[in-house]
Amino acid sequence: MIKAVESIEPRPAPVVAPVGDRNAHWRRRVAVFLMVAYGLLMFVPFAWSVVTSFKTLPDSVQMTFLPNPFTTQGWEFAFTKLQPPIPMLMLNSAAIAGAATVTNLVLGSLAGYAFARLRFPGREALFLIVLATLMIPDQLRLVPVYLMLNAAGLTHGFAQYIGLVTVLAISGTSIFFMRQYFLTIPKDLEEAARIDGAGFFTTFWRVMLPLAGPALATVAVLQFQGTWNGFFWPLILLQDSNHFTLPLGLAAFRLAGGFTTNWPPQMATIVMATLPILVLYLFFQRYFVPSVAKTGLTG
Amino acid sequence: MGVIAAARPGSPVTKSKGLAKGREAITGYLFILVPMVLFLVLNIGSIFYSLYISVWHWNIRSGPETLLGTKNYLTALGDPIFQQAVTNTLYYTAVWVPLAMALGLFLAVLVNQKIRGQTFFRAAFYFPAIASSAAITVLWIFLLEPDGLFNAARAALGINPIFALFGYTDSQNWLGNSSTAMNSIIILNAWTTSGTFMLFYLASLQAISQDVYEAAAIDGASGVQAFWSITFPLLKPAHYFVGTVAVIGGLQLFDQAYLAGSVDGSPDNALMTMVLYLYRSAFGGSFDFGYAAAVGIILFVMIFSATLVQRRLFGAAPSW
Repeated sequence: MIKAVESIEPRPAPVVAPVGDRNAHWRRRVAVFLMVAYGLLMFVPFAWSVVTSFKTLPDSVQMTFLPNPFTTQGWEFAFTKLQPPIPMLMLNSAAIAGAATVTNLVLGSLAGYAFARLRFPGREALFLIVLATLMIPDQLRLVPVYLMLNAAGLTHGFAQYIGLVTVLAISGTSIFFMRQYFLTIPKDLEEAARIDGAGFFTTFWRVMLPLAGPALATVAVLQFQGTWNGFFWPLILLQDSNHFTLPLGLAAFRLAGGFTTNWPPQMATIVMATLPILVLYLFFQRYFVPSVAKTGLTG
Repeated sequence: MGVIAAARPGSPVTKSKGLAKGREAITGYLFILVPMVLFLVLNIGSIFYSLYISVWHWNIRSGPETLLGTKNYLTALGDPIFQQAVTNTLYYTAVWVPLAMALGLFLAVLVNQKIRGQTFFRAAFYFPAIASSAAITVLWIFLLEPDGLFNAARAALGINPIFALFGYTDSQNWLGNSSTAMNSIIILNAWTTSGTFMLFYLASLQAISQDVYEAAAIDGASGVQAFWSITFPLLKPAHYFVGTVAVIGGLQLFDQAYLAGSVDGSPDNALMTMVLYLYRSAFGGSFDFGYAAAVGIILFVMIFSATLVQRRLFGAAPSW
């Protein structure tokens, strides 16, 4: 794991002031100690959730680290008896996150290319609208968006998915990010393609898109992670528990549990909600840099 | 292509250039069509629709029933629970923002040291920021149970007398007690978001030239002195940027409050936040959408004014 993370670190380590700093050695030791201590401290909660998921309910409130007895009852409960069971929650989460990722890639790259390269009247004004959407908090949109989707019949049955994906289909962030990336690609390649008689779509598809790999990967990774973890819109738009995503399943499980919470299966659900993002993070860590466009403008 | 067209004015090439221009414009509109329609309806349209809904008594089933004018707004502003929600949210923001920023900066300084394995620590410290908020909150609730790991750990460490000084019992119900519930959420969110703030600060730290530190070292400044007199002031743009991001995020606190305190912000409205109040107005039982829309507008005005004030004071976000 360490190796995988280190090998994709792109930035060289900064040089520590070499002049006259006799304390540098000790400072480094203190820093290592603090980092290990903090790292262990934040590792404990995650480890505790994994351990607890293999405990029995009475054992789950005991402070022994190793489960005694070791049991997979919690997992069996979460996979079969929980309503809806984990496999269905995961399927819903994956389907919604996958769909929102694809729509953001397709719509974001097309619109990003248009705003970066194509000339048409009103382009700057329309781009301002894209930026303005980043300033509108989702909470303001809760009531009107729900009523619009409700009127369109998109709040019941399978249509709930369509309603949710419609709301998540394209974010101003995706367009903004793709546009910024296309702006950095030299124009020569496109012009060569245009002289060869390629149309605008062919130029986009054959020349520009293959060059935009890193930007597409960033949009895909951030969008998938964001939608997988998403809480607010699914809570509003998925009313029927069979359509719940993992975070909603966790909330329902937690809020219905009251005082007799069944911790082991709940911990199993937490593991399953966290694990896919951890795997994604380990493989695509370099794309997880928090983009200013994403975090800085939408909060 | 442009050169050829210019060289032969009035030739068929010019004509085809005009045609290409038209085609380019049409292609442009087609490429942005779907996003713009969605934005105009679901974002820009939402604001105006919200304003319209907010002046009605509007039931989810029957739609608009009675025209109320500004009554929904006045009812919300006069509701003690709404006022409590505003107080709670401002308290959360006022405490959480500096705490998370300090922790983020502290971690950034740590992982900026030239140490083997620092990339691993960087990656590890950032992970809570990208994990599911629902999963981490439920995990936090589990740890903070009266018979949970946190209470057991402080008993094992023998530090309960310190907690007793503050009036906390050995089996303190952190999230179930109205005096500690919000602080528990503050600590949770300081932990999870500090990873993001760490990366923002790290980028700024690495942009600081090493020369200034060398000069300070020659002048005999210690590491701590150098931090407070050089690093901290030089990070001013980062402080402003992270602070702005944090305040806007803080005013929108919802997930953790809802998961820990349910739709009522239990216990005793201690976890009732502005967004939770909005959610409760719409889906908490009464389904009074006119009222909820009015609450949404009030929230928007508050968040937007906070953004404008900060922009006024500190300038626009660096990316623009």
